[in-house]
Amino acid sequence: MLKSLLAALALTTALSFPAVAMAKPVKLSAQLRDYGGNNAYLALYVTDKNNNYVGSLWLAGSRTRYFEHLAGWYNATGGDTSQINGLTGASVGSGRTLEITLDLKDALFDQGYKLHIDAAAENMRESPNDVVVPLTTAGAGTPVKGRRYISSFTYSM
Amino acid sequence: MSTKTLTVLFASAALTVLLGFPALRALHASEPGEALAPLAALLGADSQQRPVTLAEDDGHETEGGTVVRGESDDDEGACGDDDGNCAPAPAAPAPGGSVPPPQNGLFDNGAAPQVQVK
Repeated sequence: MLKSLLAALALTTALSFPAVAMAKPVKLSAQLRDYGGNNAYLALYVTDKNNNYVGSLWLAGSRTRYFEHLAGWYNATGGDTSQINGLTGASVGSGRTLEITLDLKDALFDQGYKLHIDAAAENMRESPNDVVVPLTTAGAGTPVKGRRYISSFTYSM
Repeated sequence: MSTKTLTVLFASAALTVLLGFPALRALHASEPGEALAPLAALLGADSQQRPVTLAEDDGHETEGGTVVRGESDDDEGACGDDDGNCAPAPAAPAPGGSVPPPQNGLFDNGAAPQVQVK
Protein backbone atom coordinates (compact mmCIF):
# COMPACT_ATOMS: atom_id res chain seq x y z
CA MET A 1 0.00 0.00 0.00
CA LEU A 2 2.75 2.41 1.01
CA LYS A 3 4.79 1.50 -2.04
CA SER A 4 1.82 2.19 -4.27
CA LEU A 5 1.27 5.55 -2.64
CA LEU A 6 4.92 6.50 -3.02
CA ALA A 7 4.90 5.42 -6.65
CA ALA A 8 1.79 7.46 -7.30
CA LEU A 9 3.31 10.47 -5.55
CA ALA A 10 6.51 10.23 -7.63
CA LEU A 11 4.49 9.94 -10.83
CA THR A 12 2.29 12.91 -10.07
CA THR A 13 5.32 14.96 -9.07
CA ALA A 14 7.06 14.16 -12.33
CA LEU A 15 3.95 15.03 -14.31
CA SER A 16 3.32 18.23 -12.38
CA PHE A 17 6.73 19.78 -12.80
CA PRO A 18 7.90 18.97 -16.33
CA ALA A 19 8.03 22.67 -17.28
CA VAL A 20 10.36 23.42 -14.40
CA ALA A 21 12.68 20.61 -15.45
CA MET A 22 12.88 21.80 -19.13
CA ALA A 23 12.94 25.59 -18.92
CA LYS A 24 14.04 28.37 -16.71
CA PRO A 25 13.55 32.11 -16.58
CA VAL A 26 16.66 33.77 -17.90
CA LYS A 27 17.36 37.42 -17.20
CA LEU A 28 19.20 39.37 -19.89
CA SER A 29 20.67 42.68 -18.82
CA ALA A 30 22.29 45.13 -21.23
CA GLN A 31 23.77 48.31 -19.81
CA LEU A 32 24.39 51.00 -22.40
CA ARG A 33 27.32 53.37 -22.41
CA ASP A 34 26.71 57.04 -21.89
CA TYR A 35 27.25 57.75 -25.59
CA GLY A 36 25.20 60.92 -25.45
CA GLY A 37 23.05 60.34 -28.53
CA ASN A 38 19.49 59.35 -29.38
CA ASN A 39 17.88 56.19 -28.01
CA ALA A 40 19.43 52.98 -29.29
CA TYR A 41 17.64 50.19 -31.11
CA LEU A 42 18.77 46.73 -30.00
CA ALA A 43 18.11 43.33 -31.57
CA LEU A 44 18.80 40.20 -29.51
CA TYR A 45 18.87 36.93 -31.41
CA VAL A 46 20.40 33.47 -31.32
CA THR A 47 22.58 31.54 -33.75
CA ASP A 48 23.59 27.88 -33.59
CA LYS A 49 27.09 26.38 -33.53
CA ASN A 50 27.31 26.80 -37.32
CA ASN A 51 26.42 30.48 -36.98
CA ASN A 52 23.00 29.95 -38.54
CA TYR A 53 20.19 32.16 -37.34
CA VAL A 54 17.80 30.30 -35.04
CA GLY A 55 15.42 32.94 -33.71
CA SER A 56 14.93 36.31 -32.08
CA LEU A 57 14.65 37.02 -28.39
CA TRP A 58 13.82 40.73 -28.30
CA LEU A 59 13.91 43.92 -30.34
CA ALA A 60 14.03 47.23 -28.52
CA GLY A 61 12.63 49.93 -30.80
CA SER A 62 9.28 50.52 -32.46
CA ARG A 63 9.86 52.05 -35.90
CA THR A 64 10.23 49.39 -38.57
CA ARG A 65 12.10 51.77 -40.87
CA TYR A 66 15.11 51.58 -38.54
CA PHE A 67 15.18 47.79 -38.31
CA GLU A 68 17.46 47.56 -41.35
CA HIS A 69 20.18 49.27 -39.32
CA LEU A 70 20.29 46.27 -37.01
CA ALA A 71 22.32 44.77 -39.80
CA GLY A 72 23.09 41.28 -38.49
CA TRP A 73 19.49 40.64 -37.50
CA TYR A 74 18.15 42.19 -40.68
CA ASN A 75 20.44 40.15 -42.94
CA ALA A 76 19.45 36.96 -41.15
CA THR A 77 15.69 37.57 -41.18
CA GLY A 78 15.20 39.79 -44.22
CA GLY A 79 13.42 42.15 -41.87
CA ASP A 80 10.61 39.66 -41.29
CA THR A 81 8.70 41.24 -38.43
CA SER A 82 6.86 38.00 -37.63
CA GLN A 83 10.17 36.91 -36.07
CA ILE A 84 9.68 39.49 -33.34
CA ASN A 85 5.91 39.38 -32.91
CA GLY A 86 5.27 39.81 -29.22
CA LEU A 87 8.96 40.54 -28.66
CA THR A 88 9.26 44.29 -29.08
CA GLY A 89 9.45 47.20 -26.74
CA ALA A 90 10.78 50.73 -26.48
CA SER A 91 14.24 51.75 -27.58
CA VAL A 92 16.82 52.28 -24.85
CA GLY A 93 18.33 55.60 -23.87
CA SER A 94 22.00 56.41 -23.57
CA GLY A 95 23.35 55.23 -20.22
CA ARG A 96 20.22 53.19 -19.43
CA THR A 97 19.91 49.46 -18.74
CA LEU A 98 17.54 47.07 -20.50
CA GLU A 99 16.45 44.04 -18.47
CA ILE A 100 14.43 41.26 -20.06
CA THR A 101 13.30 38.05 -18.40
CA LEU A 102 12.41 35.25 -20.78
CA ASP A 103 11.41 31.63 -20.35
CA LEU A 104 14.10 29.98 -22.42
CA LYS A 105 14.57 26.28 -23.04
CA ASP A 106 17.38 24.53 -21.21
CA ALA A 107 18.52 23.08 -24.51
CA LEU A 108 19.90 26.46 -25.51
CA PHE A 109 22.71 26.24 -23.01
CA ASP A 110 25.97 24.37 -23.45
CA GLN A 111 25.02 23.36 -26.98
CA GLY A 112 27.03 25.85 -29.01
CA TYR A 113 24.32 28.50 -29.27
CA LYS A 114 25.34 32.14 -29.20
CA LEU A 115 23.40 35.24 -28.29
CA HIS A 116 23.97 38.30 -30.51
CA ILE A 117 23.04 41.90 -29.88
CA ASP A 118 22.99 44.40 -32.75
CA ALA A 119 22.74 48.08 -31.87
CA ALA A 120 22.15 51.33 -33.73
CA ALA A 121 21.14 54.89 -32.92
CA GLU A 122 20.03 57.76 -35.11
CA ASN A 123 22.87 59.81 -36.63
CA MET A 124 25.39 57.37 -35.26
CA ARG A 125 27.08 54.27 -36.63
CA GLU A 126 25.44 50.89 -36.83
CA SER A 127 26.99 48.27 -34.58
CA PRO A 128 26.15 44.73 -35.66
CA ASN A 129 27.31 42.13 -33.14
CA ASP A 130 27.90 44.76 -30.51
CA VAL A 131 27.82 41.76 -28.18
CA VAL A 132 28.27 38.09 -29.05
CA VAL A 133 28.27 35.64 -26.15
CA PRO A 134 28.05 31.84 -26.01
CA LEU A 135 25.10 30.57 -23.99
CA THR A 136 26.58 28.34 -21.31
CA THR A 137 25.67 27.60 -17.71
CA ALA A 138 29.24 28.49 -16.73
CA GLY A 139 28.95 31.88 -18.40
CA ALA A 140 25.83 32.90 -16.51
CA GLY A 141 26.46 36.01 -14.43
CA THR A 142 29.74 36.88 -16.18
CA PRO A 143 29.68 40.43 -17.63
CA VAL A 144 30.66 40.79 -21.27
CA LYS A 145 31.84 44.09 -22.72
CA GLY A 146 30.16 45.40 -25.88
CA ARG A 147 31.94 46.90 -28.89
CA ARG A 148 30.28 50.31 -29.12
CA TYR A 149 26.90 51.01 -27.50
CA ILE A 150 26.81 48.34 -24.81
CA SER A 151 28.98 48.83 -21.80
CA SER A 152 28.19 45.49 -20.21
CA PHE A 153 25.91 42.51 -20.86
CA THR A 154 25.08 39.64 -18.56
CA TYR A 155 22.63 36.79 -18.53
CA SER A 156 21.61 35.03 -15.35
CA MET A 157 19.50 32.00 -14.48
CA MET B 1 41.61 125.49 -91.61
CA SER B 2 41.47 128.25 -89.06
CA THR B 3 43.69 128.39 -86.02
CA LYS B 4 40.70 128.04 -83.77
CA THR B 5 39.61 124.81 -85.39
CA LEU B 6 43.05 123.33 -85.15
CA THR B 7 43.27 124.24 -81.50
CA VAL B 8 39.97 122.47 -80.77
CA LEU B 9 41.13 119.42 -82.68
CA PHE B 10 44.41 119.17 -80.78
CA ALA B 11 42.66 119.68 -77.43
CA SER B 12 40.15 116.95 -78.05
CA ALA B 13 42.85 114.58 -79.23
CA ALA B 14 44.88 115.23 -76.13
CA LEU B 15 41.86 114.67 -73.93
CA THR B 16 41.10 111.40 -75.68
CA VAL B 17 44.62 110.13 -75.15
CA LEU B 18 44.60 111.10 -71.51
CA LEU B 19 41.30 109.33 -70.81
CA GLY B 20 41.79 106.34 -73.09
CA PHE B 21 45.35 105.41 -72.24
CA PRO B 22 44.56 103.65 -68.88
CA ALA B 23 41.77 101.68 -70.50
CA LEU B 24 44.02 100.67 -73.34
CA ARG B 25 46.69 99.63 -70.87
CA ALA B 26 44.15 97.54 -68.94
CA LEU B 27 43.15 95.68 -72.06
CA HIS B 28 46.70 94.59 -72.60
CA ALA B 29 47.45 93.75 -68.94
CA SER B 30 49.56 90.58 -68.57
CA GLU B 31 48.54 89.69 -64.98
CA PRO B 32 44.92 88.79 -64.25
CA GLY B 33 44.79 90.94 -61.17
CA GLU B 34 46.44 93.84 -62.80
CA ALA B 35 43.34 94.55 -64.87
CA LEU B 36 41.22 94.67 -61.75
CA ALA B 37 43.54 96.83 -59.73
CA PRO B 38 42.13 100.13 -60.95
CA LEU B 39 38.60 98.82 -60.47
CA ALA B 40 39.43 97.52 -57.00
CA ALA B 41 40.90 100.87 -56.11
CA LEU B 42 37.70 102.55 -57.24
CA LEU B 43 35.52 100.15 -55.18
CA GLY B 44 37.67 100.45 -52.09
CA ALA B 45 38.45 96.73 -51.72
CA ASP B 46 40.47 95.58 -48.73
CA SER B 47 44.13 95.62 -49.18
CA GLN B 48 44.34 92.13 -47.60
CA GLN B 49 42.83 89.14 -49.36
CA ARG B 50 39.99 87.40 -47.53
CA PRO B 51 40.61 83.66 -46.89
CA VAL B 52 38.35 81.24 -48.75
CA THR B 53 35.84 79.60 -46.43
CA LEU B 54 35.03 75.99 -47.26
CA ALA B 55 31.59 74.63 -46.58
CA GLU B 56 31.45 73.32 -43.06
CA ASP B 57 31.38 69.61 -42.54
CA ASP B 58 27.94 68.42 -41.48
CA GLY B 59 29.44 66.29 -38.75
CA HIS B 60 28.27 62.91 -40.09
CA GLU B 61 30.60 60.06 -39.42
CA THR B 62 31.46 58.18 -42.54
CA GLU B 63 34.64 56.45 -41.62
CA GLY B 64 34.34 52.69 -41.03
CA GLY B 65 30.55 52.25 -40.77
CA THR B 66 27.07 53.13 -41.95
CA VAL B 67 25.42 56.07 -40.26
CA VAL B 68 21.77 55.78 -39.30
CA ARG B 69 19.96 58.67 -40.99
CA GLY B 70 17.17 60.28 -39.09
CA GLU B 71 13.74 61.03 -40.49
CA SER B 72 13.06 64.24 -42.43
CA ASP B 73 9.87 65.87 -43.61
CA ASP B 74 10.80 64.98 -47.19
CA ASP B 75 10.54 61.32 -46.28
CA GLU B 76 6.81 61.59 -45.78
CA GLY B 77 5.17 59.83 -48.70
CA ALA B 78 8.38 59.79 -50.74
CA CYS B 79 9.19 56.80 -52.86
CA GLY B 80 12.73 55.94 -53.90
CA ASP B 81 11.56 54.25 -57.09
CA ASP B 82 11.55 56.47 -60.18
CA ASP B 83 8.42 54.72 -61.40
CA GLY B 84 6.65 55.93 -58.29
CA ASN B 85 6.09 52.40 -57.01
CA CYS B 86 6.56 52.17 -53.28
CA ALA B 87 7.39 48.95 -51.52
CA PRO B 88 4.87 48.35 -48.77
CA ALA B 89 6.20 49.02 -45.29
CA PRO B 90 6.67 45.88 -43.21
CA ALA B 91 3.88 45.16 -40.77
CA ALA B 92 4.64 46.53 -37.35
CA PRO B 93 5.34 43.67 -34.92
CA ALA B 94 3.13 43.24 -31.88
CA PRO B 95 4.60 44.62 -28.68
CA GLY B 96 5.95 42.29 -26.02
CA GLY B 97 3.30 40.59 -23.95
CA SER B 98 0.42 41.33 -26.32
CA VAL B 99 0.73 38.02 -28.18
CA PRO B 100 2.67 34.81 -27.46
CA PRO B 101 6.28 34.79 -28.74
CA PRO B 102 6.96 33.08 -32.07
CA GLN B 103 7.41 29.31 -32.10
CA ASN B 104 11.11 29.50 -32.88
CA GLY B 105 12.31 26.80 -30.51
CA LEU B 106 13.85 29.25 -28.07
CA PHE B 107 10.95 29.80 -25.72
CA ASP B 108 9.32 27.22 -23.59
CA ASN B 109 5.81 27.69 -22.32
CA GLY B 110 4.99 30.95 -24.06
CA ALA B 111 5.13 33.06 -20.92
CA ALA B 112 5.11 36.77 -21.67
CA PRO B 113 8.49 38.44 -21.52
CA GLN B 114 9.07 40.81 -18.62
CA VAL B 115 10.89 43.96 -19.56
CA GLN B 116 12.27 46.86 -17.62
CA VAL B 117 14.38 49.84 -18.62
CA LYS B 118 16.26 51.38 -15.71
